[in-house]
Order: sequence, then structure tokens, then C-alpha cells
Amino acid sequence: MSSGRFITLAGFTAVAILHIGFGCCALAAESSTRQPDGARGAVIAAQGVGTGVPACAQCHAYNGGSDGTGAFPRIAGQPVQYLVAQLQDFASGARRNAVMSPIAKGLSPHDLAEVAAYYANASAPFLPLKAGDQTLIKRGEQLATFGDESKRVQACNNCHGPGGAGEPPMIPYLAGQYAHYTAFELQMWKRGYRKNSPEVMLQIAKKLDDQDIQAVAAYFQQVLSSSRVAIMPKE
Amino acid sequence: MAARLKPVDVVTIGVGLTGSLAALELVKAGLKVVGLERGAPRYTVPDFQSPAIHDELRFSIRKGMMQDNVKEAMTFRNSFDETALPIRRWESFLPGTGLGGSFVHWNGQSFRFQVADFIYRTHIEQRYGKKFLEACGSELAIQDWGVTYDELEPHFDRFEYLLGVSGKAGNIKGQIQPGGNPFEAPRAREYPTPPMKEPYFGALFRRGAESLGYHPYPQPSANLSQPYTNPEGLELQQCVFCGFCERYACEHFAKASPQTVILPALLNRSNYELRTNCQVLRINLDSTRTKATGVTYADASGTEYEQPANLVLITAFPLNNVRMLLLSGIGKPYDPRTGEGVVGRNYTYQTTGGPTVFMDEDINVNPFMASGANGTMIDDFSGDNFDHSQLGFIGGQYVGAIMTGGRPIEFHPTPPGTPKWGLEWKQAVARHYNHTILIQQHGTSTASRLNYLDLDPTYKDAWGQPLLRITFDFPDNDIRMSQYIADKVVEIGRAMGGKIVVRGGQKRPYTTTEYQSTHTCGGAIMGDNPNTSVVNRYLQCWDVSNVFSLGGSAFPQNGTYNYTVTIGALTYWALDAIKNKYLKAPGPLVHA
Repeated sequence: MSSGRFITLAGFTAVAILHIGFGCCALAAESSTRQPDGARGAVIAAQGVGTGVPACAQCHAYNGGSDGTGAFPRIAGQPVQYLVAQLQDFASGARRNAVMSPIAKGLSPHDLAEVAAYYANASAPFLPLKAGDQTLIKRGEQLATFGDESKRVQACNNCHGPGGAGEPPMIPYLAGQYAHYTAFELQMWKRGYRKNSPEVMLQIAKKLDDQDIQAVAAYFQQVLSSSRVAIMPKE
Repeated sequence: MAARLKPVDVVTIGVGLTGSLAALELVKAGLKVVGLERGAPRYTVPDFQSPAIHDELRFSIRKGMMQDNVKEAMTFRNSFDETALPIRRWESFLPGTGLGGSFVHWNGQSFRFQVADFIYRTHIEQRYGKKFLEACGSELAIQDWGVTYDELEPHFDRFEYLLGVSGKAGNIKGQIQPGGNPFEAPRAREYPTPPMKEPYFGALFRRGAESLGYHPYPQPSANLSQPYTNPEGLELQQCVFCGFCERYACEHFAKASPQTVILPALLNRSNYELRTNCQVLRINLDSTRTKATGVTYADASGTEYEQPANLVLITAFPLNNVRMLLLSGIGKPYDPRTGEGVVGRNYTYQTTGGPTVFMDEDINVNPFMASGANGTMIDDFSGDNFDHSQLGFIGGQYVGAIMTGGRPIEFHPTPPGTPKWGLEWKQAVARHYNHTILIQQHGTSTASRLNYLDLDPTYKDAWGQPLLRITFDFPDNDIRMSQYIADKVVEIGRAMGGKIVVRGGQKRPYTTTEYQSTHTCGGAIMGDNPNTSVVNRYLQCWDVSNVFSLGGSAFPQNGTYNYTVTIGALTYWALDAIKNKYLKAPGPLVHA
């Protein structure tokens, strides 16, 4: 996600909402009459489009849950504005990724909005994953909920919501996200490959060492399942 | 009998803005400094993290960061023929407590005072003649500060760079800069970071103000527009517009506060010691009563200690600075009947007010996306920026669309005539919440011979010491000033497209039951004459040369602006004199 984008929105969403209803700028430029309903998005997810875009489902699964390797993120239920922004950033290179950048470039603004709407409304079960290292998870929980004064790092949950549940429209959930993916993205910021939140996520990522990154990633992967155990009745 | 501790070089009474800043300067100079803070220690992590830090009931309504007025209240009355009663719930102003003081829960509104503010009496007399002030009100008691803007400019600059203030310069060395405030006092260079992004309500205000020929500019902010590393090597992060600045602490390391811009550079020094939950009871004087020997304080258990020190810095909230002087018997207390005495005189506040502008339903203000200082404003009516010769008052107010958050308990604007509760009220809140713009008027408070601070004869605190008594009402001059500007601001509200514009402006009598401003000023004022001031131009007590009183208590009267940055500049100015003059030859820096 792009917190830089969020800040811009903080200043100008009022204007954006006034004119186009739901802050989806690429779509507004293309078509002001047709709102994305995700129906076409579902087709793209299943089949791709002819312009060199393979089916999203190949990696992210048709339900957006991806697979348990963590090589691909869960995208089911992420806010639509966040998904649109990420696809735009893949296309522009603000988020550099050899796989996603050509795909994003191959999507028309309307298809991009459609596929984002589809996955935003998708729901996918959380896969049973091997329990992580408890010491690592405890450190991760500390960083997620309180931060680290000596490193001047604030709690992840300040922006990503209690328990990493996300703060729509622009901030993704982290709860239940694959640890491998979360850790990889923090490294991408830290090493300069991911440039789409230079004011916030870059600043935070560069203060975290490798152990911290592993810790927050491990924590968020299991946070949803543990809270479900705590609050959900057994089926 | 209080246990006597090992002597140190310096004690600060309070560890907020002035206490931490002064300590850092003196610790760097090699002195052993002890900071005595009455409240608890607290740090960005873990104390300021969300969701707990966004508890509106705890912090906004129950004033979770403020001085505990069960233990230590203040009493208040409007005039000296009334009986003062204790303020048992902070509303009008919010004195902070705890490590970092009020510099933790501030909004980050970061202005410099103007050139004329520091030579206010001289300026008014030169521009309007010697009789003008008397005509504005025979009780008015304005004074020059004894220090000039030019002398303070390097210290303003240094303090702004410590904070990383986000803004757009309007006047660099006399050259007016496009996009900035053309009325700004000349500065040596640009702000450390670019201005905050303009919110929608600011853009609408800009359009309305420009259409009337005024000069809108972005409010300078200490909630930063981008990451910044200050000269102490401390990194600040970018504000995320969460809308929880005033009355709250920042969880993001994005607001300048002692915790973010000073304390990490101070607390790791071996010659600094922080002691929290320590209530200083008095400054001890020797038998000549011209030299302080240290302070006596009580720790959290109530055990008393005597801490000897060569230099005592009073660095509490401005009102508490004055109380400390009175409790310690430093300086002659002011008597409004005779006009004699100095401690407590020229207590001033801040004129406020401003209209509420109700907009059409298609104007979505989104007030919750806000920061403590991301307004758009004009200085056309600030200070003496406009000709007062035919107006019969002095002073002015800045005007701006400054919305600092749309928090659910506090923010529910409804037009006049709406019931105060029930279905109709709820419907009106739903209709107007996202379509209402608040405009601030914020300005000068003129000193009056009738307004002052002293010790209350009846009420005592938890340690058995008299409470501070505040005697205050706005002079009629200030009401006329604010009401004059209120008319102008209604025009701006209409030019913005307001459907209903509810006129504002300061009213009297002053009440302590409505929030107005935390900028309490004066009572231990600075000046060049010991008969009319408590401290000299270096904030050194005239009567006890090893005691300095730092902060807003030194302002002879209050200027237009939020005063934090001017307090910071004044603190650096005083510390410069302490380091480079006083330490070389302890004693009075100015001979009366």
C-alpha cells in the first residue's frame, strides 16, 4: 500500500468523493457511467485477458487465498482502493516486481478496477499452517502492538488496525497474511525495490533488523487464527 | 526533617518543553543536572500507542494528560471583589503533567511572534501617539519585553529546526516569498520541512479569503509533512492525519515533543538525572534571601528531600512558575489595589472565538482527516497588521480554517435553533457533521492592572500549600477588538459558500468552563525594570540571581499566536546567556 497516497487522499479525498463517488481515479477517467461490480473481474481472475495477462487464480487462487507457500500474498478481502493502488504502482514501477509489473501494465484501467473489486469482495479460508517460533512471535507481537522505543518504531497496529485487521480504504490487513510474503515486502522496502510508501513504510522498514522483520511477519501470520480460537465458537 | 541529598549544579522544576531544553543545553556544557518532574515517566513506546491513545473519553473528556486537580487545583474569580473557587475540572485551559508536560498534548501550531510584539508599548505609542492606549482602556498595562525580535531570530531559527516545523516562509530577510505569509516577521531561511498538504476546508477558506483580497497561507506545523532528522540526530516521521493531536500524544513519532526531539538526546547523558513523581514544594533561599540554595521536594511516597543546587530553573507550566515564586517568597507579590509588587502582575490569556460555517450537503469536509496544525489562515487582522487609529482598540487576531479532528464525542456541530438532544438533534448532527467548517479567531490578550495571580487565602493542595488564585476577565478593549474582527470573518464564511454562518468573537465574562486556549501568560514577566517585572531580559529573577523562570510566564502580555515556538526561542535565548555569561561570572546579568 502507499501511505504517501493515503496522505494525498487525506488532503483531497473530499474533492475526489465529490466528483466521482468512490475515490477510484483511474476508473473515473475511463468511464464515469459504469461502476465496477467485479463480474468481469471474476472472469479475469479465472481466465486472464488476451493482452498477456494470465489468470490471477494461477497464483492467488480463485478465492484470493493463494497457497500456503507464502510466495504470493492473500488478497481476498483487501480494500478495493488498496488493490487498485497496488496494481497502479506495479504498472508504474513504484512497486517493482518482475511478475506483477507486466500483468498490471496489461490491464486496462477498467479491467484493473474490475479485478480489484472482485478480489476485494472475495473471501477465502485461512489455511492451516505450521505454528511459528513462539519467541519470534512474542517479539513480533510486541512490535505490532507497542513498537520499539529504542528504535523509534511505532506499533504496526496504529495504522494497520487492532490485530492488524486493516484500515480501509488504503491500509491493508496484515492479520493472517503469509509470513514469507510480509517479510519479503519489508525487505523490498528496506533495500529500495519498493518505493510506494517512501514517507512511512520505508522509514519503518529501515529501522527493523532481519530478526524484527521475521518476528512481525511470523506474528501476523498467526494472529487471526489465534484470535479465532479465542472468540469463535467451535463449528 | 527532609533528607539532604548530594548537591548538583542545576535543578529544573518540571521536565516539559523548557525543562528538557534547558537541561540538554546545560548537560552539554558539562554541568550535572537533575530534572524533577511531578508526573509520571512516559514514552512514545509503549505509552502513546493506539488504540489506547485514541481514547477520547479518557483524554479529551476526562483530561487524562492534565494536572491532577484533585491533588492540585487552582482557584478562579473574575475580579478581586469576588471570592475565588477551585477549578475542579479543567476546561478553559489544560495544564499538562507528566514527563514532557504540555509539550506532549499540544497541537503543533508553530508560529513566531511578530517584531512589534516585543516592543509593544513603544510601537503603539509611536504609531498612534501616547494618549491612544489610555483611550483604549485606562486599566491596560502593556509593556516592552526587554528583548527584541532581531535578538531572538537566531533562537527562533534554532528552535524551529529542532522541531522540524513544516511551513512556507513568507519573508526571508525582508524578501516577501510567494505562497507564504506576507505579514511574517523576517526569517533567516526557509522552514525545515515543506508545508502540510492543504485539506479541503483549507482550500475553501483560501478561495473565500482571496476573493476578499486577504492573504491566505499554510499554518506552520510541528506535525511533520515529511520525515526529518533534527540537529540532535533524532528522526521524526510523517504525520498521517489521524486527527488526535491536541489533548493526545502522537503514536507515530510525527509530532515534535520532548519525547521525540529532545529527551532521547538528554536521557543517555551520564550527567543528567531524571526523577519523576517528584513534587517540588519550594525553592530554598539562604539567610540573605538573595541566593537560592536548592529545592525541597516530596517523592511519590510523600517523603521530603532537600536537593541543593547552584542554579535553579523554574520550568513548570506558566501558571505554576508563578506559584513556585510565590510559595518560595521570591519577588514582591503584586497588589492590584496599590499597583505595587511584581509577582503575579500582567496575567494574560488569549482571545479566541470564530464562526461556524454550515455548508451545502455536497461539500464533504471529512473533518476526521486532520492534523493539529494543518489549517489555512490569514494574518491580515493579526496584531497591529491593520490600522487601529480610528478603531479605539489595540490588538488583533489571526483567522483561519483550522480543524484539528472530527472526533465523535466532541464534534457535532448543529445550527442555531436545533434542540440540544433527541431525534431532531441526532438528525441535525448527521446532516451537518461532514458539511461544517470551523473558523478560528485567535489573538492578543492585553494586560490589565486588574488581572493577576496570587496565592489563595483558603484552599490548599494535597501537600498543604496554598493554591494559585487566578483573577481574570478580558478587558473591554479585547472584546471590541475580537467583535470587530468577527464581522470580517462572517464575510469570509459567506465567501466560502457558507449557507449559515454563525458569528463568533470573544465574549465576556471570561469563564473557566469552556475550552478556549491553554496559552496562559505572564505573572512572572520579563522587562528592563525591576519595579515592573519579575525577571530581567535573560529570564533571571531580579531578586535571586541564581533562579531563572523560563516559559510563557515571562510574556508581559500575549500576542496573536499560539506561543510554544516563542517560548522555545526565549528559552534558547536565556540559555545562551546562562552558558556564555552567567556560568563565567555567576550573579545578576543586568544591574537595575
